[in-house]
Order: sequence, then structure tokens, then C-alpha cells
Amino acid sequence: MRLRASGITKHFGHRPIVKNVDIAVDAGEVVTIFGPNGAGKTTLLKMLATLLKPASGRLEIEGRDALAEPLAVRGALGVVVHEPLAYPEFSPYENLRFFGRMYGVARLEERCTTLLAEVGLSRFVHEPLQHFSRGMTQRFMIARALLHHPSVLLFDEPFSGLDAAAKSFVLQRIAQERAAGKGIVITTHNTELGYLAGTRFLFMLNGELEAVANKDDIAMDALARLYEERVVNLI
Amino acid sequence: MNETLRHISTLIRKDLGLHFRSKETLALTFVFSLLVVLIFAFAFGPIFPEKTERGKLTASVLWATFVFAGIITLNRSLTLERTSGALHGIRLTGVDASNFYLAKVISNLFFLSLLEVIITPIALQFLDLLDVVTVGVLLKLMGVLSIGTLGFCAIGVLLAGMSTSVGGESLLSVILLPLVIPIIMGGAKCTVSLLVNGTVASGMWLNLLVGYSLIFLAAAYLLADAVIEE
Repeated sequence: MRLRASGITKHFGHRPIVKNVDIAVDAGEVVTIFGPNGAGKTTLLKMLATLLKPASGRLEIEGRDALAEPLAVRGALGVVVHEPLAYPEFSPYENLRFFGRMYGVARLEERCTTLLAEVGLSRFVHEPLQHFSRGMTQRFMIARALLHHPSVLLFDEPFSGLDAAAKSFVLQRIAQERAAGKGIVITTHNTELGYLAGTRFLFMLNGELEAVANKDDIAMDALARLYEERVVNLI
Repeated sequence: MNETLRHISTLIRKDLGLHFRSKETLALTFVFSLLVVLIFAFAFGPIFPEKTERGKLTASVLWATFVFAGIITLNRSLTLERTSGALHGIRLTGVDASNFYLAKVISNLFFLSLLEVIITPIALQFLDLLDVVTVGVLLKLMGVLSIGTLGFCAIGVLLAGMSTSVGGESLLSVILLPLVIPIIMGGAKCTVSLLVNGTVASGMWLNLLVGYSLIFLAAAYLLADAVIEE
């Protein structure tokens, strides 16, 4: 099991954001969490990424207690969130080189060049990140997340604000990483792209996670209808 | 140990690269410091009082300048880490928060020392003290300023980490200044003594300066994890 969380809860003040969530992700599995804005998806993902401490619950990453030893498990995580998690003044190459040194990546120069080519940023390696479009930034963020060969990938709204080509790139990359045996969690409110990327689907509504189905057991239209009904029922 | 050194040296190199790349902080602090010195020089000049009074005036100008330039530098340094979530990116590399803290202290100490090396002779010249200060006194003065700057950065990095996390850059001045009063008092008194007598006459002020700086460094190092990880 790549990642296992049980009883994860988080409050901001007295307001519960994530309520007693259980989730497990196996190697080669892509778990898609669908949920509307404010459902607690980003907070959950930040807790899975050890960036936010849950009020209660257990989190294991690659069999290790991530709450007791966050520093030890972070090397196994590749994270893509709304922010680039990098320095806008630096170029993608400089950013990757810096983070690669921090991770202790072997043959770093070669790794940076290869990754930037893979994500289609070869022509922009020396441009400051602050000049990048949303799609280019997303490509960089994927390269940054993959830099140190993590076994668990956490993607928060990886398709938002992207054009068709960039969405297609992200989908392809997720499929590629899944085939390489990584455990992947995606949060999104886009049922079509989330369905295409995922192998198992969950809904997150009002901070609670509910299992829906495996990809083999549900068609895209049925998933979209079910999601719409559940979200409309909330309003 | 090797990993600790690798983390700290990589973080320092990154900080230097960022600051020299944008030059924003360097330009801002340098112009601010120069302006303060010029305002005092014009207000008190062109005929300055006797050496004792000039020494006291210069010490006041130097410490006031470096404290406020320091607040600008610290705020900018930690804001860079919060913008675009770079600090989360660093945390995800598995770096110990104490190593991140130490690297920040060292890089800010470097920037402020660079500023002091440039601004101190200019202040001495404009306040009519350069011709009476020997190289030996100037070196001792830089030593006193460096110890004070270390203490200032030690507590300042920690508090800047807290204030930028709640989005209030102006908060740093409010919470930092009361805490660094012992450093400013010790540093200013030692500076006056050096500029007037050429030596640090009373060990008490130097002890206060060194003692507080080291206590702040040790305490902040121990608290870094709680501030950066939360």
C-alpha cells in the first residue's frame, strides 16, 4: 500500500473541514476525489502531503507513520497544488536544480534536462517562471513533482485553467506514472477529466469522503449524473 | 551531517542567488540607509558638535538605520518563501526546519553585514568622524555591528516566519522591536564607546550584546520547527 489514511479530521476554528476520512491508495492506482468548491479536497490533500497536521487520525506513507516522521516520508511524495511550490524569479532549470540538490538527486543536470524535455519546456529552460502561462507553469509543476522519483503523487485540481493540449498532456502523464507503479490521488470537480484519469472514484461532500465505484463498474455519464445529483442535493 | 551541510549550503546559495537576481532588497535597503544618514547629516551639519556628541549621534544613526533596514530585509526574505508556496516546496524535500532557519539567519546576516560595510564608512564621513576613526576602531566597530546583527537576525528570522505566515508584514516591527531592545542598547553603547574612546570601555554592554545574541540564536533554533512546520 502506497498511502493509507484513517480517521483524518481537521477543523479550522470550530468549523469542521475534513471529517473522519479514510483513504487507501495502492501501487498503480489513481484515486480521483470529486467535490465542489469548499468540500475540503485541498485541505485533505495538504494533510496527505504532510503539509498540514490533522487534528486526529493516522497517516501511513510507504508503511511509515507520516505524522510521527514527516521528514522521513516526504521524499516519497510528489505534490502538485494550486501554487508552483517554487521561486517565480528562477527559471524552471534553476528551480529544478535547487530542489534536486535539496532532495539529493543523482546525476542532477541530466535529470533536469530530461524532465524539462519530457514536459515540453525545453525551449523555456532559462525563462523566469514568473513569465510562464498557467499551462506552462502546470507542466513545470509536474516536472518538479517527479524530479526525485516519488512513489506517491498528489495532484490538487491538476486540470483547472488549462487548455485542451495541456489537459491532454496532464492525462497522458498521469497514465504514464500510473503504469510505472505509482500511487496517485487527484482532486477535481471536473467529472470528465477525473474519470479519464482515475481508476477508482470517491466523492468529497461537506468534508466527508464516500466511496463511489471502480472505473470498471461505472460509465462516465453515470458518474457525472450521480455527482450532479449529490452536489445538487447539498444545496 | 553531510546532508545537513548540503541543505544549509544549498539554501544559502539560493537566497544569495534570489537577492542578487532581483536586486530589489539590496536597492531598497541601500537607498533607505543612505537617506537616513543624509537626513541626519543635513539636520546636524555642516558644523558638527564636538567628538563625543558626534560619536553618540553616529551610533544612534547607525543602529536606527540598520534595525529598520534589517526589518525590510527580513520581511522580504521570508515573503519570498511564502509567495508561490516555495516554503512548502522546501518542506517537501524533507529538510529539517532548524536547517532552514540557520540558512536564513546566515544569508540575512550576510546581506546586512554587506550593507553595514558600505553604509558605516559613508555615515562616518557624512557625520565628520571618518578622519578620527582608525582602521583598528573601524574593525572593532564592524565586529560589534556583526554580533548585534547576528542577534537581530536570530530572533528576526523566527518572527518574520510567524508574521509573514499570517500575512502581516507590518506585524514584524511590532513584535520584533521590543524583543531586540537589549541588543540595540548593548550595541549602541558599545558603538558610542568605540567612536568616542576607541575602545569598548564597559564590559557590561558587550556582555549584554553577546549574551542576548547567543541566547536568541539558541532559543530560536530550538523553536524553528514549531514555527515553520505549523
